[in-house]
Amino acid sequence: MEDYITRTIFRYVLLFVLVYGVYIVFHGHLSPGGGFAGGVVMGMGMILYFLIFGLGKGKYRRLPMDAAIIVIGIGGFLEGIKFLLPHEHGPVGLPGTLFSVGIISVVNLGIGLLVASTVLSVFYLLVGEA
Amino acid sequence: MHLWDSMPFLLIIFSVLCAFISPVFARWKREYSPYLAIFSVTVSFLNSCVLAYRVFCGGIIYYHVADWSPPWGIEIVIDELSAAMLLLLSGCCLLITFYSIRALPKEIPEHATGWYYTVLLLTLTSMMGMVITNDIFNFYVMVEVTQIGACGLVAVRGGKHSTEATLRYLMLASLGSGFILFGIGFLYQVTGNLNISYIAAELAAVRQQYPFLIWATMSFITVGLGVKAALFPLHIWLPDAYSSAPSPSSAILSGLVGKVYIVSMIRIYMLVFGFQVFHDTYMRYLIMLMAAAAILFGSFFAFVQLDLKRRLAYSSVAQVGYIFLGFSLGTTWGMKAAFLHIITHAFMKICLFLSAGAVYYQTERTKVIQFSGLGYQMPVTMAAFTVSAFSMVGIPLFGGFITKYGLAMGSLEAGNPYFIILIVISGLLNASYFFPIIWQSYFTSEHNTKLVMDRVPLSMLVPIVIMALGVIYMGLFPGGPLSFLERTVNRFLL
Amino acid sequence: MNAAIISTNYPYIVAIILFCLGCLCILTQHNLIKKVIGINIMQTGIFLFFIAVGNIKGGIAPIYDPSLPGDILYINPLPSGLMLTGIVVSFSVTAFALVTIVKLYHYYGTIYAPDIMRMR
Repeated sequence: MEDYITRTIFRYVLLFVLVYGVYIVFHGHLSPGGGFAGGVVMGMGMILYFLIFGLGKGKYRRLPMDAAIIVIGIGGFLEGIKFLLPHEHGPVGLPGTLFSVGIISVVNLGIGLLVASTVLSVFYLLVGEA
Repeated sequence: MHLWDSMPFLLIIFSVLCAFISPVFARWKREYSPYLAIFSVTVSFLNSCVLAYRVFCGGIIYYHVADWSPPWGIEIVIDELSAAMLLLLSGCCLLITFYSIRALPKEIPEHATGWYYTVLLLTLTSMMGMVITNDIFNFYVMVEVTQIGACGLVAVRGGKHSTEATLRYLMLASLGSGFILFGIGFLYQVTGNLNISYIAAELAAVRQQYPFLIWATMSFITVGLGVKAALFPLHIWLPDAYSSAPSPSSAILSGLVGKVYIVSMIRIYMLVFGFQVFHDTYMRYLIMLMAAAAILFGSFFAFVQLDLKRRLAYSSVAQVGYIFLGFSLGTTWGMKAAFLHIITHAFMKICLFLSAGAVYYQTERTKVIQFSGLGYQMPVTMAAFTVSAFSMVGIPLFGGFITKYGLAMGSLEAGNPYFIILIVISGLLNASYFFPIIWQSYFTSEHNTKLVMDRVPLSMLVPIVIMALGVIYMGLFPGGPLSFLERTVNRFLL
Repeated sequence: MNAAIISTNYPYIVAIILFCLGCLCILTQHNLIKKVIGINIMQTGIFLFFIAVGNIKGGIAPIYDPSLPGDILYINPLPSGLMLTGIVVSFSVTAFALVTIVKLYHYYGTIYAPDIMRMR
């Protein structure tokens, strides 16, 4: 899409969208939100990129999809930590502060990455079919 | 001994891992992707063998996922029924995966191979999870994963018909899972628990207070699982989905996926509500009526189909009716017949669908009127087909006879001898749509009656033959499986 | 069934209405996208039901905060957690259905179910 306005505004918006997603992910234990919601926000930012700039050409076309699959694996591994280490909670800080829950932040980050890349790959599959 | 204890969890997690490695692996080495699936299913099969042995020797296995004890965490309980189902699921899936190596390239587009094994392994895993979980919400998640996997198994063929069938299956199945989730919501609201044992204990205490809510819950779960298991008036997605899927997928869908929902339904009725509630509410008579209608109309519809796989699909509707009939009779023999028929029907239907696939592989014939002379061109396949068809009809010495006998005994026990007439009629109907195929294939060929060996690869023939041998085994020596299942039946019918 | 019961339990009634509307939408709409919307409406009704089960009047979100008094009421977080899983499942079913509809549109050039039935 050769629209100058959307491109320009997008350049300013994308950073805020991604940072807001990361913010939601890491404040999952302090406020409503968490891995799922933040992951969806991050994924939406990336989908916005592909909606405005179009999919890549040639062999780069499938690159985000492959990257998404790999990130899904990493996120799934981070999420699986809570099953591998059932009673470990890691270092805990003062309640109510950002880094106060130890391993749960890691798990949340894993869920966030997983959801973001899943949303992206679903978008890719839908567009690839069309 | 940590590994030994956490075996039920490894059973689930390992095949999920292999399922998601499969598409990546397929992009790298496509021709080896079946072997990864075979490796994974073999591990599952050995694992289930060990678990079944442990259940057989040491009684029921309880396992708490991630060491969270029951009211909070997910509990896995493997009793005799679960162990038998685990063996059945992984064993049949192993044979079907072997069959898929050579049969698939003819039936699905090449780039879909890796994803096919993904959905196969996911379906297998979630089915195994469904029979062993003791947490009702975990059960719902497994139901959903099975549903998506099963839809993927249909959709993997591509093309107009299979896409359309997938969409219809997906719509109706998600309607059904909505009903299941609402039923679970009612249960949670009444009891405040998600663990099946705890729900049962709470429910026994408050049963008198909420008669209508329990009735509503039972009907929601009946409808939800009935749609997925294709109980008669809710079966409309079934013929398209089974007939347009590739043959190994049809075998899995018909032989395993449909059965798992029935087993789960029986477990929920007997373990959550208890036999007394099931016996007192009218739900039992409703299921009985629907099952009787399924037996009659399924056979009638099968009789008029000309496409072989459609005929087999409608015959599945009738056979599901047998299982529901035995379970709704509510007697010892009826229940035993239902469980036996789950196993026997899995063997028979998988054998029939795989034979249909083999016939398509060699001759590209799909209609039932094109079978003339096939008995001489494909002797092994047609022999297995004949064995399974005889068993469907209920001829003695084959597996189907034992379950029909058990159903007759069960209906006598329940004081409903009319069902014997129904069973006889349905046996005749089965004969009327299976015998013409067999007659054609052996006795109507004018030309080339020279006996030649099948031109089908060995990896496809061996699973068919093993399934046929299984049918014969179930007919000749039903004592072993029966005694294994008897403990469960006695526990259910307390 | 008096007015008080209805007014205190209105989320349940809304949930049942949404569930029935979704079922009706799946079964009677001819447009395939509308059928998918029906699935989503139905699932939303179920989510509302679960969250209403977990809600306590006057309770706050179950996040531990040392500055709050000790006798404060927290709502039950378990149904919300369950519904997070339910939303993910509903998302994947929706995605699968939409991909299938896109493919059907390729084959038939329409997403109107009676036309597809006619073209078979």
